[in-house]
Amino acid sequence: MAKPKISTDWLAGCAGCHMSLLDIDEKIIQIAELADIRATPITDLKEPDESGVDVGILEGGVNNSANEEVAHRMRSRCGILVALGDCAVFGGVPAMRNFFTLEETLRRAYVETESTDSGGMIPSDPELAKPTEVRALQDVVPVDIFVPGCPPSPEVIFYVLSELAQGRRPDLKGDLLHWH
Amino acid sequence: MVNLTIDGKTIEVNEGSTVLRAAQSAGIEIPTLCDHSELTPYGGCRLCLVEVEGARTLQPSCTLPVSEKMVVKTDTDRIKEARKFVLTLLFSERNHFCPFCQVSGGDCELQNAAYDEGMTHWPLSPGFNTFGVDASGPHFILDNNRCILCRRCVRACGELVGNFTWGFEERSAKSYLVADYGVPIGESSCVSCGTCVQVCPTGALIDRQSAYRGKDFQVDTVPTVCIGCSVGCSTTVGIRDNNIVRIEGRWAEGVSGGILCKVGRFEPVDDNRERITSPMMRVNGELKPVTLDEAVKSITTVMKPLAGKNGNGVAAVASTRLPVETLHMVKQIFSDNLKSSMVTSTEEGWSTTNTAAFAEETGKVFEGKVDALDMADCVVVAAADLANHHQVLGFMVKRILPTGTKMIVIDPESNDFDPFAEVKIKATKGTFADVFAAIKASSKNQSASELSAKCGVSEDVITSAGKILSESEHPVFIYSRGLTAKEGQPALAGLVDLAENCKGSTILCTKGKANSVAASQLRLDKPFEVGKHQAIFVAMGDEDPSQRLIQRIEGVPFLAVTAAYKSKLTAIADVVIPVEMWAELEGHFLNIDGRIQKVSKAKSMPDGVAGNNETLKAIANGLGVTLSSDWKKELTSRPSSMVIS
Repeated sequence: MAKPKISTDWLAGCAGCHMSLLDIDEKIIQIAELADIRATPITDLKEPDESGVDVGILEGGVNNSANEEVAHRMRSRCGILVALGDCAVFGGVPAMRNFFTLEETLRRAYVETESTDSGGMIPSDPELAKPTEVRALQDVVPVDIFVPGCPPSPEVIFYVLSELAQGRRPDLKGDLLHWH
Repeated sequence: MVNLTIDGKTIEVNEGSTVLRAAQSAGIEIPTLCDHSELTPYGGCRLCLVEVEGARTLQPSCTLPVSEKMVVKTDTDRIKEARKFVLTLLFSERNHFCPFCQVSGGDCELQNAAYDEGMTHWPLSPGFNTFGVDASGPHFILDNNRCILCRRCVRACGELVGNFTWGFEERSAKSYLVADYGVPIGESSCVSCGTCVQVCPTGALIDRQSAYRGKDFQVDTVPTVCIGCSVGCSTTVGIRDNNIVRIEGRWAEGVSGGILCKVGRFEPVDDNRERITSPMMRVNGELKPVTLDEAVKSITTVMKPLAGKNGNGVAAVASTRLPVETLHMVKQIFSDNLKSSMVTSTEEGWSTTNTAAFAEETGKVFEGKVDALDMADCVVVAAADLANHHQVLGFMVKRILPTGTKMIVIDPESNDFDPFAEVKIKATKGTFADVFAAIKASSKNQSASELSAKCGVSEDVITSAGKILSESEHPVFIYSRGLTAKEGQPALAGLVDLAENCKGSTILCTKGKANSVAASQLRLDKPFEVGKHQAIFVAMGDEDPSQRLIQRIEGVPFLAVTAAYKSKLTAIADVVIPVEMWAELEGHFLNIDGRIQKVSKAKSMPDGVAGNNETLKAIANGLGVTLSSDWKKELTSRPSSMVIS
């Protein structure tokens, strides 16, 4: 049997979940032996294979049209979709901004913040992604497996990856279940 | 008794018990959120749903009374699904994003419940509705965004504290917690007792001091007793890295069963006074650090020759916040050995002298147990300011009023309990004894017109008080030093006489600070009068010296002070020796109803602090005094107004 292909990407997160992934240290070699690690933000290949991967992993919530595109692309190209970390699972810290309107948050970021020197302009170039409310991944595409944590600990990530690499479905409970 | 089956286990419980309590008694765990062991069942959160054979729908076990031959299941797939659904709805309603919440990671009952159900995510995303945050109070913050509407706080405030500050505004998902009629907490009737904070299952009510300073699993909790006043409530002190993080009440234990007041819960954690960390001696007019030996030696050198000189020798004062062990040592050294007649406490007996003298003269043991309030159908508050002092006792009175307990307030001054009183007796002349005599006459159906006139109170008022007392089966009389302050023992005699004429009555006295009764039993209770004393020893502990005390001490040739904190008193001392603050003490305290309670050491002393008992032992040693450690015998050798045990 061919090794399962795993691809990852990140959306509105802080990259911390991927850092936690790297924190599994030398055990990443075990994962590499069991699985074929394809496109990730921390490898050269940037987009999941058009021919598809077995497991797609996404970090971060969905907070603009670019995130939506990445989420849809991953969903369409992967078998099992994993939401990695509190932002992908719940919306996380970025979702704090949902308690304000988009206009308020943009004004705060580009006009009112003391350190901002943008001439008081909210960027509106049509090339730019369109900001939206921050959503959990499951509100944009169907998610198969949820791995909460801010970030999920390296132990949790290793457990999830090794289970998936061996064709099993991880079941997070007890000490492995933490939302942050 | 009722027999029922829960998860195949046959259980026998009292009639009227709930399915939840029955399950708990059999060690069967049912998850709950709105339930609390000390509060009446509410049935608000629906997490405790169970399957009952024959019932069409799932039933909330917390409000479901047991019935004979009931068959209950607590762990079926249907129930598990329902629990997840209940939690899903709770999470979706408000801001329950855990990463930015102080109780997350151990202390949040909502989060823990979700973990227990194995929830990796929320099937429904939140609505991002916003609610108000109220940080206007001095000790805790209300964040309605974290609230799950379980109303534990509302019930605790009413049922346990009798304050009824909390309530809800709006309906269903829009409901939010408000103080009074929607005023900021800081301007409300809240008394900052913090009971609501202790019962809150989420981060909706958080304590300013302890927030973000450590979860329950990160702090060591030391069970001890509050020494904020003479009530002596049971507490646990949370310690992390030798810092006090928080103080909580111990449910169902001790005098108050877990409730505390701000003096016990919040204020001790908010203490910013400056510690003394080295013994000091006055050299060329300035206090300089010295060794303990040097400090003790300078005290014994001055005091030894003064032994036996009464009135122009040594005087000593000890704080009533010190353990009996320490008070006993002070008494032995200065009273028994140096033969000084001026050895007293910082309270100078103001809350106990008349009571002790009355008990001694009459041989009556007339004061009872605080528990009596649980049964009380009438409470007579005689010149006691329970709203502001010994507050927990006040809570225990106020909380029984809604169940029909009638309160009579006898206080010529304005009393904050007046608005809750069935009868207020405001004598404009005469004495307390006259008022008691009038009520007594009226309760025995005798004419009270003359006696009423004597104290300037309308006969109707006296008659209604007498009627309440004659109809009650368990009246409790609570008095404080205000009763005897001006009128002395006759006022107390009148109260005792009235109480003795009421069946099933109990008398309680608020006393003063934590060990005021012990000081009284050790006869450290006389007015502090400085004459030609050549040296004064003050064991201040962590108490703040009063201005009056300092004024009387100023100008004495030699002043030695043991104290935890710098003060105006230590500033004028010739020798200062640092000692424990409350959380570092170990020893015994005698509370208002005669319980000898052990205070445990919750944290260690800073380096350089000598400690009360160590210092006194060194002084005794230097003076050639042998100390006895049988303080218990001494404590009970003086006739007391209460049973001491």
